[in-house]
Amino acid sequence: MKFVFKPVLLAVTAAMVATGASAADSDSWSFLPAAQRPAPDTPNFNGKWAMQTPIRALKTADGKEPPLLPAAKAKYTANQAALKANPKSDPIANCWIQGVPRIAYAPYPMLISQDKDRVNLVYETNHTFRIVSLHRPLPKWDDSLDPHWLGYSAGHWAGKTLVIDTIGQNDKTWLDYSGLPHSEKLKVEERYTLDGPDKINGELTLTDPETFSKPWSTRFTLVRQPGYDLKESVCVRDHKM
Amino acid sequence: MKRFLILALAIAGTTGTVIAQEASAPTRKLTPAEQAQLDIDNKGRATPMTAEQWLARRSGGNQAQRKSWEPTPPPPDPRDFTGLWQIPGGNINLIDEHGEAAPFTPEEAKKTQQLIDAEAHGAVLTDAASQCFPHGVPRLSFAPYPVRFAYVPGKILMLHEVAHNLRLIHLDRKEAPKDTPQSFLGYSVGHWEGNTLVVETTHFNDKTPLDFHSSHGTKLKVTERFEKQKTSQGYTDLLVRITIEDPDHFTKPFTVVRRWPYRSDMEAELGSDGIQEYSCEENNRNVDVSSDGKVIIK
Repeated sequence: MKFVFKPVLLAVTAAMVATGASAADSDSWSFLPAAQRPAPDTPNFNGKWAMQTPIRALKTADGKEPPLLPAAKAKYTANQAALKANPKSDPIANCWIQGVPRIAYAPYPMLISQDKDRVNLVYETNHTFRIVSLHRPLPKWDDSLDPHWLGYSAGHWAGKTLVIDTIGQNDKTWLDYSGLPHSEKLKVEERYTLDGPDKINGELTLTDPETFSKPWSTRFTLVRQPGYDLKESVCVRDHKM
Repeated sequence: MKRFLILALAIAGTTGTVIAQEASAPTRKLTPAEQAQLDIDNKGRATPMTAEQWLARRSGGNQAQRKSWEPTPPPPDPRDFTGLWQIPGGNINLIDEHGEAAPFTPEEAKKTQQLIDAEAHGAVLTDAASQCFPHGVPRLSFAPYPVRFAYVPGKILMLHEVAHNLRLIHLDRKEAPKDTPQSFLGYSVGHWEGNTLVVETTHFNDKTPLDFHSSHGTKLKVTERFEKQKTSQGYTDLLVRITIEDPDHFTKPFTVVRRWPYRSDMEAELGSDGIQEYSCEENNRNVDVSSDGKVIIK
């Protein structure tokens, strides 16, 4: 089995975006069993999506470098040097589960399965999924909380915007392909808003007092992929089968 | 990986405690195939399972616990599978619905027996799942972890906790598209027959075992029938009937039956509405064993 994390898929994604068919597959909630349907006016994110423009190095919303603290800046520089020396320095090249928010703007298609109680974010890359509860709060964030690769997420609605808060991640993941680091103190807020039927505007706010001098935000765009079906994507470290 | 440890302890623990059988099901004598499987499953156990305990596992485990498993009942709609279902442990075998051994071809019977014997002599068996590849089907449907069903337009998702296995069931297709590649979990199309979800899966690769000991080829076709069913005590199971066809490994199709209890109690566990993070990638236990000469790659 070869690595499936290959930029070749980016071209496929871009081609699909270019053909851009309309969103016929999510006009109503009728696909859901009746007891699982949200209020009729709830924004409907169900369907298949992909990044409009892949992100290689995460910048702030106005295109600036993230506000790294000195120690984190040194770590970023070291990560970049390691990556240059060996592309497998990237945690995802070793098949570790991608953290949040990197998985959110991974350059592969994804699927959103939404009902009244939760939003399931299903990413093609290495068959990774996040089950985001809309009705259970985040756990208490203290030393007893076991850090997870994808942390702990909880979602809620702010008007027409889906807001997902994530805490409790380990510090073994990078925030992007360029080696941007973070600590276990990272808190991520993702905000998703429909912009017409076929586009989602994503906004991220990253707060990490051990990495950044202040909270900062950035944006990305997801575009509907009506004709695409998620493929089986498998990444297993150092192993052939 | 936390749940793995907890489950391992639970499985170890239950061997010494009582697993009540479904109240209405009379205890019966094991068939020779079942007795052989029980002997395999009991190998090396400090406290061997009784026939009753072993049989009970196929009907969803400890019925006496069921009250605590369903603090809230599942939705009454028979086609609404949302929620958590726990695949019971100790059932990774191909004993058919009548208690008979699978109809192996002579060659597959020999290969299966070789692996059973090798394991009995201390070999560590490794397979796709133990190396963090997707488990395959029905291997995945025997793995004792919870699964959540979810819906998207035209499709049903099965989100398995174990190694974040993900199954996508296409209700909007009658068959796999042309040029569908082979994969670990195959390509699944589904439809409703009454209130039974019928899922047909093809396009498997041949890299996964069906259980712990038996293999399949790329002609494998698995038909699963999922149906919500009340137990005699009023709790809810997902009755799963799995029909396996592979003319290169079995002389005829055969069906194994499992029951997955509804587990609303697990929804409140730390994690994601009851599906905890399972990073197989952190614990590739069997990958590096090959140098000691005791490993068999299936």
